Amino acid sequence: MKRSGTRKWLAMLMAAMLLALTACGGGGKNNGGANGAGENGGQAGNSSGNAASGGGSKVELTLWNIWTDPSAEHQSSLKQVETFMEEHPDIVIKQQNIPHDQYKVKVKAQAAGRELPDLIQVWPGAELAPLVEGGLLQPIDDIVSHWDGLVISEYLKDYSVDGKVYAIPAQVVPTHVIYYDKDQLAEVGYETFPATYEEFKAMILKLKEKGLIPITLGNKGQWVLQSCYISTIGDRLTGSDFLNAVLYTGERKFTDPEFIRALEIIKELVDIGAFNEDFNSIDNDQQREYFINGEAAMMIDGSWGLGPVLDAAPDKNIGVAVFPAVEGGLGDPSAVSVVSGMGIAINANLTGEKLEAAKTFLKGFYTEEYFKEMLKASILVPAEIEAPAEVSPVLMEVKELASKKVAPVYDATLPPEVTDVINAGLQELSIGLVTPEELAKRLQDAVDKQKQAA
Amino acid sequence: MHLYTRSKGPFLAALAPAVIVYTLFAIIPIFVSFYYSLVEWNGFTDMKFVGLANFAEAFGDKIFWHSFVNNLYVVAASVFGQVPIALFFALLLNRKLKGSKFFRTVGFLPVVISTVVVSLVWGMIFNVRRGLINQLLSAVGLEELRQNWLGDPKLAMIAVCITIIWQFIGLYLIIFLAALQNIPGEIDDAARIDGATGLKQTIHITLPMIRDTLVVAVILCISGSLRTFDLIYVMTSGGPGHATEVLATYMFDKTFSSTRYGYGSAISVCIFFFSLALIGLSNLLLRRRAF
Repeated sequence: MKRSGTRKWLAMLMAAMLLALTACGGGGKNNGGANGAGENGGQAGNSSGNAASGGGSKVELTLWNIWTDPSAEHQSSLKQVETFMEEHPDIVIKQQNIPHDQYKVKVKAQAAGRELPDLIQVWPGAELAPLVEGGLLQPIDDIVSHWDGLVISEYLKDYSVDGKVYAIPAQVVPTHVIYYDKDQLAEVGYETFPATYEEFKAMILKLKEKGLIPITLGNKGQWVLQSCYISTIGDRLTGSDFLNAVLYTGERKFTDPEFIRALEIIKELVDIGAFNEDFNSIDNDQQREYFINGEAAMMIDGSWGLGPVLDAAPDKNIGVAVFPAVEGGLGDPSAVSVVSGMGIAINANLTGEKLEAAKTFLKGFYTEEYFKEMLKASILVPAEIEAPAEVSPVLMEVKELASKKVAPVYDATLPPEVTDVINAGLQELSIGLVTPEELAKRLQDAVDKQKQAA
Repeated sequence: MHLYTRSKGPFLAALAPAVIVYTLFAIIPIFVSFYYSLVEWNGFTDMKFVGLANFAEAFGDKIFWHSFVNNLYVVAASVFGQVPIALFFALLLNRKLKGSKFFRTVGFLPVVISTVVVSLVWGMIFNVRRGLINQLLSAVGLEELRQNWLGDPKLAMIAVCITIIWQFIGLYLIIFLAALQNIPGEIDDAARIDGATGLKQTIHITLPMIRDTLVVAVILCISGSLRTFDLIYVMTSGGPGHATEVLATYMFDKTFSSTRYGYGSAISVCIFFFSLALIGLSNLLLRRRAF
């Protein structure tokens, strides 16, 4: 009696475990599916003739991008693809739209398996370089002249590796802008934005006394303190040639007192309560909420944060500024960390008809009309074109701020491994798990290790 | 019966698809991982063979051990949280209770909800400004007990463990309930005649009867907790400052954010052996106590 009971039991448990296994299998299968999709892209790329004949006279290209949200920026990009396909009925663009954070991971994973799509949205600088070194992308120098007179050539350098251009940018992205509520600042006695760091801190304390969140921050993704904060705050202290000197000539180090001071500023801001308490458990999208609904007086964010805020709170009296001058800093107090963005690169596997189609796509996609749509979506563009009438005046102010002096963005400059160290390290710094000196040393160690390996 | 005497061909043929799929997608990747753990590779350029350097680095890596300890917390929370609580509710629900079907469904519900949803919902519950817990504490005048649940490195792991316990109680509840209902009524009757009722009956009759199930539940718990990934990844991404990092999230981070495929593979090989060791150990301990 008992034995048969146990046996029944075991059978049921086996069933339960099987279920657990299939659940795992399901997860794996999904990945497999995604891989498969990538593979198809690759294979199709290798045998373009077959693919073309298979779909009649149509050429099919796969495109991955991050256009997932309802923002004007993403929607007009999607529309631009639609328009292109209407104008070129012989080319079919098959898209996969993947949210930003997941997209970055997916590209790295698929790149390791050499299964990238025909057209890939890529980020400039240090994020582009490994893809190029791995031989996954092909340069587009032969068609760059198509954009002469539209795209300002200076902005192409972010998308260049070893002098070859790999993508055309559609955006100029300042990663650091202080957006503030003019009315709330006026209430605590600031008609103009403070010009020095000490004054800035005094203002933060006054805002806090009023019961407001001085600065809204969402650093769950860990890159915000790095990209939007230290890229510019660091520059105030170290000057703009610091990162190159650290990475290539070794003349300067992360352990230099100027950089340590920059880290201290982050710590000071946390310690005086400049941020919302939940700044490490909400993300960059969620941080906007506090600014939109008026709980926070300031928001430090990239230019990408402006569009959504204007959409959600069109009547808000928004002012823009950059981080004020810091005493003893070597950098230009008007410098802003800026990087080009929204480039699409071509898979190295493409040849013949498909390659031609891909180039046609780039030409048809990066047009003056598209740049105008970007401006309307409150995104700056790498071209001198007349702004359409409906462009927000705040965007023009951001443009003014960002055009004075350009500082490098850390994650577009540092190797991924070092970026990872600074991302995690800044979060640890913000909760007191590491001191500025320790973090500086950790960063320098990571750089030294990279140099040794190279 | 005579089926068994025939050739084994049909059996093998029937097994083959499952074995092939399992080998291809479960066994071979493990060995590929072993190989990757011996190289330095960023996923894009050529691999460089570095021997055991990745392992040496891992063993000297503070965050690696920190993640391991966090994994042990998750194991402890599961074994000493999920199992006893699930057992308690299973014993309650096993009685002739009004609406027991309803409670059973309610108890099982969290298992059915996607982990991402669970993480997001609990993330909101734990939110320091608007979260349910802190709002509740304020509402009853216990403002000083308000905590920055997910933002404080000392509390974040506790918050995560609570969520993990909540999520899986239902699974063990159902397993235990089924086991309890399988105990023959005669045994209960006999126990009652001998004067064992209530707690006495539970401890001396009921629990020993479902011992095998308990052992399997504990092993499922351990192996499940060592693979914990999705819930933590969505809820805290291992933060703040590695406070809730577990081996799987650390491995993921190293592999796909830092693009160190070799080092990431070395970590996953370590996870593999830790799991084997822990399950072996628990097997040994639980066997020894057998009667």
